[in-house]
Amino acid sequence: MRVVANLAQCQGHARCEDLCPEVFSTDAIEGKVVIEQPEFPPELEEKVRLAVRNCPEGALRIAKGAVA
Amino acid sequence: MTVTYYPAAPTHVPEDLILDFDFFDMPADVSDPVQIWHGLIQKGAPPIFYTPRNGGHWVFLRYADIAEAYRNHEIFSTHKAQIPPLEPYPVLQPNGVDPPQHDVFRKLLAPMFTPLAVRRMTDGLQSRAERLISGFAGNGGCDFVHDYAAKFPTGTFLELFGLPEERLPEFLRISDTFFRSTDPDVRAANLLEIYEVLEELFREKERNPGTDIASTVVQSRDADGNPFPWTDIINCGFLLFVAGLDTVTNTMTYVWRYLATSADARQKFRDRLDDPSAFLLAIEELMRINAVSNIYRRVTHDCEFKGVQFRRNDRVVLPNTVANRDPRTFSDPQTIDLDRKVNNHVTFGLGPHRCIGSHLAKREIMISLQEWLRQIPEFELDPDQDAESVFGGPVMGFTSLKLRW
Repeated sequence: MRVVANLAQCQGHARCEDLCPEVFSTDAIEGKVVIEQPEFPPELEEKVRLAVRNCPEGALRIAKGAVA
Repeated sequence: MTVTYYPAAPTHVPEDLILDFDFFDMPADVSDPVQIWHGLIQKGAPPIFYTPRNGGHWVFLRYADIAEAYRNHEIFSTHKAQIPPLEPYPVLQPNGVDPPQHDVFRKLLAPMFTPLAVRRMTDGLQSRAERLISGFAGNGGCDFVHDYAAKFPTGTFLELFGLPEERLPEFLRISDTFFRSTDPDVRAANLLEIYEVLEELFREKERNPGTDIASTVVQSRDADGNPFPWTDIINCGFLLFVAGLDTVTNTMTYVWRYLATSADARQKFRDRLDDPSAFLLAIEELMRINAVSNIYRRVTHDCEFKGVQFRRNDRVVLPNTVANRDPRTFSDPQTIDLDRKVNNHVTFGLGPHRCIGSHLAKREIMISLQEWLRQIPEFELDPDQDAESVFGGPVMGFTSLKLRW
């Protein structure tokens, strides 16, 4: 599974980085999400899902399959 | 552009959506300013209602509507949104303008407030917290607002703006007048003083730039390589002053007021002193429950929103405390759950105007609380509190909070 971000929706709350720094960080210019590990390992699934549910802008989603 | 002033509820507002509600007014029996907002829900106020008070304005009471208003700047603008309507009022940069104009100063400021930039401020914040708390830890008590919650963010502001610590008393006096005075003459003189201070500051940073925020702003250039209009530079400094002091002071005061009454919460935070991410998660819940800001918007054109008719220049208040306890969005919303799993609070707003200082504010509160609990692990409310210390308005809070240990 992989996680994708809509950067137009991201406003830099950085809740994802707080909740799952293994997968999410933020950039130094606008403070928007950077997905360090789009295809995350199964042991991180719970944390990634929590980060997705805690995005106040709904800018993250989990997609099935590999990067197209 | 002209702004219309309504002496009473205007004709487009139906009778059944009118309530008499003054969010600046604190009745004598109110011990916590948020009570006046949650009282509206208890008495069954419509989710979108109109009050003729303070120049007349709408109030939104549902998370979903408040969130939509935050995101929809095409209807709900921050430009000239002051309540009661005030003219002239400075156009704060970037908060007082909407996208795409908003993006100019937002992008200029953004790198200085990213999580990465704020992490670099940690040492400065830490030593300020240590210094302030050790100054009174041996006294057995303090007035939290006076001795800590006002000084900490104001001192941080001075540091970030490259101003010397000796100016703290001056800035405390200026900000206290700005945020608390209700005397129109005093307020007018205070505004002039703030502008003089900012003018002098930016001129000095233009001559002798450092690495601080004021120097960065004054040295910035637009897309064509020209300096920004001087008024915009001053009003950007003004915004950071307005947005970063009183909000942090009052959020801290709310947080300490709660912790003083909950041994269980103090214990939970002490248990997390060595686990910053768990500590931060618990802070997030205190951010949800202690949302001090009531945010203003101005309607840009006649339109219908959620079945209600709005007219151009109608004012709207978005009370974050109400959104953050909406049972449609939060499970068990009145319970403070320091392990809350899903917490999409709107304490820092949403959408393009999301509080740019949110990461700094959270870090200020987190570092302060960590240091406080190391030096003062147990504390309680001093029963000898000042009467009438609560206030309402765009930022709610307390003028005094006496603690003892």
